[in-house]
Amino acid sequence: MIVEIIMDGLLAAIAGIGFGAISHPPRRAYLYIGILAALGHSLRYFLMHALQVDIAAASFCASIVIGLFTLWFGRITYCPMTVLYIPALLPMVPGMYAYKTVFGLMMFMQHLKDEVMAPKYLMETFSNAVVTVSTVFLLALGATLMIFIFPKRAYSMTRK
Amino acid sequence: MKSAEEIKDFTRFIADYATSLLGSGVHTSRVLRNSNRIATSMGLQIHMTTFQKSIIMTVADADGTQVHTEVLEIPGMPISFEYNSELSSLSWEAFDKHLTLDELRLKYEEIKAMPRMKTWLLVLLVGFANASFCRLFGGDLGAVLIVFLTTMLGFFLRLQMQKRGLNHFIVFTTAAFVTSLTASSALLFDATAEIAVATSVLYLIPGVPLINGVIDILEGHTLIGVSRIIQAFLLVLCIAAGLSLSIFMFQNSLL
Repeated sequence: MIVEIIMDGLLAAIAGIGFGAISHPPRRAYLYIGILAALGHSLRYFLMHALQVDIAAASFCASIVIGLFTLWFGRITYCPMTVLYIPALLPMVPGMYAYKTVFGLMMFMQHLKDEVMAPKYLMETFSNAVVTVSTVFLLALGATLMIFIFPKRAYSMTRK
Repeated sequence: MKSAEEIKDFTRFIADYATSLLGSGVHTSRVLRNSNRIATSMGLQIHMTTFQKSIIMTVADADGTQVHTEVLEIPGMPISFEYNSELSSLSWEAFDKHLTLDELRLKYEEIKAMPRMKTWLLVLLVGFANASFCRLFGGDLGAVLIVFLTTMLGFFLRLQMQKRGLNHFIVFTTAAFVTSLTASSALLFDATAEIAVATSVLYLIPGVPLINGVIDILEGHTLIGVSRIIQAFLLVLCIAAGLSLSIFMFQNSLL
């Protein structure tokens, strides 16, 4: 279990750094983006696999923890919070659910006249879409919450 | 007391500063705070309205006798967190050290001239990122390898298309299609093809406008927030369109 959690964190760190690079963060931010991504993703892994928490709630908890640590790391690196936590959240995007939504929609269209399969595919599409949308929304909300709870600190991160 | 010319000069600078921030993917309230901070350090006041494509800005001196208004287009530029951080820092520096306009301009140009990451390194990093993402979703070694290669191909293609100024939606659809199509080659090998195809397009997800949109709406900048989210949502639809074209071609083997 512990090995799996550590592996999970390492992979998430690589993913966070790579996806973050697309948005051109300052060089000093990369290390902290990696740490945040690892922290968040391995916490979610632990919650989902050890405590059987669902993906949306687990993502929300992980996102809040990422937000809290960003309050600290932002001050060290003089980076606004979004610079650190947006890349760190990206590895938690529920990609398989998103894919299954698109796939289900395609299959539904192919089986429109099939009375057994059509409702089944529609149901599948809908439930996957609900999981995708609510997880992404909670991810965005969790870390952003910290900006609203600690506005003074969040707004003076880049003051040297 | 400032002369009309001074105020005009300052307005041009601060309008350029604010549009650069908005263009590089900073949420609205931060742009307003940063601009206000610089204005305050000069003893001026700013009133600003932001839209998705342009800003309207009025600068006045303390007693409101000299007023100047500018309307500026927000340039379409790639997202840059580096500008976000450095330009925010600059506003604090102006506030704490009372920089003159010339000093500000110099530092601003310095920041804008900062070199970007080399393209090959960026492409490599994104490839690694998506490959480890594939592993996180439980892809086997074959799938990870295929995702690594196809992501680099797709991302390089996207950069090239963006460089040529192609329409955003076409860029995203094409990149998603090419990436998922080449990732479907996992079907030829003994690999977890479904996971490979599903994760191959995820590097395209527009996370920055999505989260900025949420922040903007929650902070009451509803209009610009909603337009950011609509833009992001359209891009997601484009990814889905490109992906479904590949699924359409290989659906029987993907089932």
